[in-house]
Amino acid sequence: MRFSSALAFALVFAAPLAGQQRFTGRIAAVVDSLGAAAAARGLPIDPVIEKAIEGSAKGISVERVTAALRAVVDQLDTAAASLRDGGISGDTIAIAAGGFAITAGLHGRDITDLARTGRPAADVTVGLRVAGTLTALGVPPSETVKLVSVELRSGRAPADLLALPGRVQADVAHGATPAQAAAGLARAAAAQGNAGGRNGAPPGKGGHPPHPPHP
Amino acid sequence: MSEREFHPEVKRLLDGEITIADLPLELRAEGEEALRLLAAVDRTSVAVPAVTWRVMAALERRRRRLVPWLLVPALAAAALVLWIARPWTPERVASRAPVTVRFVLVAPGAQRVSLAGTFNHWDPRATPLVRAGSGDLWTATLSLSPGQHQYAFVIDGTRWIPDPTAPAIDDGFGRHNSVLTL
Repeated sequence: MRFSSALAFALVFAAPLAGQQRFTGRIAAVVDSLGAAAAARGLPIDPVIEKAIEGSAKGISVERVTAALRAVVDQLDTAAASLRDGGISGDTIAIAAGGFAITAGLHGRDITDLARTGRPAADVTVGLRVAGTLTALGVPPSETVKLVSVELRSGRAPADLLALPGRVQADVAHGATPAQAAAGLARAAAAQGNAGGRNGAPPGKGGHPPHPPHP
Repeated sequence: MSEREFHPEVKRLLDGEITIADLPLELRAEGEEALRLLAAVDRTSVAVPAVTWRVMAALERRRRRLVPWLLVPALAAAALVLWIARPWTPERVASRAPVTVRFVLVAPGAQRVSLAGTFNHWDPRATPLVRAGSGDLWTATLSLSPGQHQYAFVIDGTRWIPDPTAPAIDDGFGRHNSVLTL
């Protein structure tokens, strides 16, 4: 039995354990095939499985779920290649984060730019998630990359990065456009970085607590 | 057949104690390879021809060494079940504590509202919201692991809508999912 078959088997038979039919045999076969090919290329298969479960839960047709799964794999391929160009290889979690960022509207070159900030892959992963979230909030990709890059380069802690969407939302609530809000934050971060810690808080000690959307 | 000694952390993965996401980056390829190899074991029965007792004894000695690893296909399957039974939360590798999140929706006329997302395998029955008083306000408070979550509200079991106060992305099916990054 191949790995992918075992995986599909586990997925299908895990469903009754949870009291819910996760997905049909036809979708399981698609997951089997696409998942095996993706894994062979070093891509994470979790996003493929999650999308299949989501499609089934929403009552989407097999044909449409199949198309969505292919799109997910394409996005993961693009993310992996872009990360490789930026010097990060083989990190499936970073690839998944890159796939999300592409879904949100970023481009492969944006992912490469973020990977080239020279930060560890774990930090870039958080940066990619935050970048995707900012783009989903309506911040243009160019402004998103500018803001997240300057934050990554200045060595901000993940908690500071995770606070960015909440800060953009707060500025938007006060009348700024998402682009204006992001540009303002990028300018402030750059200025703080240029101050070299003389006037600003050191990286990771910023005065902005995380703002999840619904604290 | 050549034998290969896997890293102790990879063995923990096969034993279902940890997930692939819990493995250090440098061990993930080995972990994925181990799962692939072990799940590829052909478990179809074969006819064993008559053999001498000496050969059987040798096989028995070898079997004793391998017994724990003969169980790995089952363990690997169990690990996979555990893997998918848990939400996709790559940040689980970090030691950050779960975050309490309150979800709120105003849904005039709704009889029931629930939450479905990556944290509950998109099960629209798993996380019902509670009506606040007799009004149209519905709430739920969840403890979520750090990482990224996608979700939607489900009204009366059939209507899926994104959270109007959260960022949203294309769900690939012509609708939108809300995004929560913790």
